[in-house]
Amino acid sequence: MIHVLLITFLITLFYMAIANRLMTYIKVLALQGVLLFFVVFIQLNEINTLNLVLIMLETIVFKSLAVPLFLSHLLKRNNITREAEPFLPNFVSLVITTFIVVITILISNTIKDDKLDKIFFVVALSTLFFGLYLIATRRKIITHVMGYMVIENGVFVLSLAIGNEMPMLVNLGIMLDIFASVLILGIFLNKIGDVFKDVSVDQLSNLKDY
Amino acid sequence: MLSVLLIVIAAIFFTGIIIRAKSLASGRKGPLIMQPVLDVIRLFRKGAVYSETTSFVFQIAPTIYFSSVVMAMLVVPFGQSRGVLSFNGDFIFFAYVLALGKFFSIIAAMDTGSSFEGMGASREALYSMFAEPAFFILMGSLALLSGHTSFQEIFAALHIGSQISYALAALATFVLLMIAMIESSRMPIDDPKTHLELTMIHEVMILDNSGFDLGLIFTAGYLKFAIYGALIVNLFIGVIPYEYAIPSFFAIQFVMAVSIGLIESFMARFRMSHNPQFIVALTSVSLLIFFGVLLILQKFM
Repeated sequence: MIHVLLITFLITLFYMAIANRLMTYIKVLALQGVLLFFVVFIQLNEINTLNLVLIMLETIVFKSLAVPLFLSHLLKRNNITREAEPFLPNFVSLVITTFIVVITILISNTIKDDKLDKIFFVVALSTLFFGLYLIATRRKIITHVMGYMVIENGVFVLSLAIGNEMPMLVNLGIMLDIFASVLILGIFLNKIGDVFKDVSVDQLSNLKDY
Repeated sequence: MLSVLLIVIAAIFFTGIIIRAKSLASGRKGPLIMQPVLDVIRLFRKGAVYSETTSFVFQIAPTIYFSSVVMAMLVVPFGQSRGVLSFNGDFIFFAYVLALGKFFSIIAAMDTGSSFEGMGASREALYSMFAEPAFFILMGSLALLSGHTSFQEIFAALHIGSQISYALAALATFVLLMIAMIESSRMPIDDPKTHLELTMIHEVMILDNSGFDLGLIFTAGYLKFAIYGALIVNLFIGVIPYEYAIPSFFAIQFVMAVSIGLIESFMARFRMSHNPQFIVALTSVSLLIFFGVLLILQKFM
């Protein structure tokens, strides 16, 4: 069952690579949160109430409710147009994403380590790289937040790959990270949206000290 | 032998069921289920008209296209019974004999000298080229999973047991269904109802064909759908005895025809520039199937 969920997770990455609209990105992020919750839930050895509450807080509440709602609120408030406007055509994105997945499979095939769960490692690594790719190739600042969320999901899966139980400290750290980054970038974006009409990465290069 | 009989019977009703489903979904009564077959019979009674600018290629192409589809039909098995032809690596034969027929219909379209037909031919060639790796990666991973290399042995050895193999079967069905839609130029890729040459893909290639030749092309199209439907059925009926397998064959073909009709009623055609990325996405999904097969075989742990 975990394998099925993780393969679905990889398919969501492909879908994200060819999606056109920002709302689709947000919906896919919410879906990824739900998928991660089920992966962790099946992975748990014993039901520890505190641990379960923490994980639910992180995956369901944060990743698939709070952050998507906040992001869609940002979209509406700043009148951001609904297309993602990538620098490269979607077709190239899809081919590159496929190559990322293939290369991570090849890389992880060379690692000989019994403690490492390979399929988790593949999913984690390709999610990390795809997040970086998403940040690098999209024109709008809000897609940076989304790419960051994707990277965060990758780190989450990676922490599952190493031990079969999530260390609480890592958990708290990731949660704080998401909270801080989304909040800060969101407020930052709001401020930019108030000052300038259009929010694009290109205009950031005009910022300079006088 | 059994598979050929079943595919022909399914092909007779398949397109009619699609058209009826579309009519019912849009609130019309719709033509007879047999109407496509009656149309083809009417066309077969006519002679063909050839343009003066075409050469002999244009005249032999529909026949070769039709016979390539018939050859492809011969290698498709049905559960335990093999197809008429069955040998190691026959899925490669299947793919390339279909490609041969497609090649002839493409050069026949170029032969007419019409700019529209050349454009449609180039699109058709592009989309088939993108769909090819998806089919081969899918069949290759099924061959790896079962350890055999002919259609009949692959399908007979497939056992759907664990949860991951259910997921793989679902993905394989999706990929095969989409390849069937691409190869027979149906909705998400191509709109069979369009009347503008600029947006056509398959229809524009056969604008110059008439009478008997057009009938052959239509028949080949109906057969192609039923062939891909039979492949999808084969994924599921590995070792089931015939008295259950034959009804489930027709049930799955019927469900497939109705769902194609519903998809065509409620979906718009993709923009032309979105088609390649959609088709390459199929290749990515079949790569994931390959990955899942490696997981099942414990080659990757």
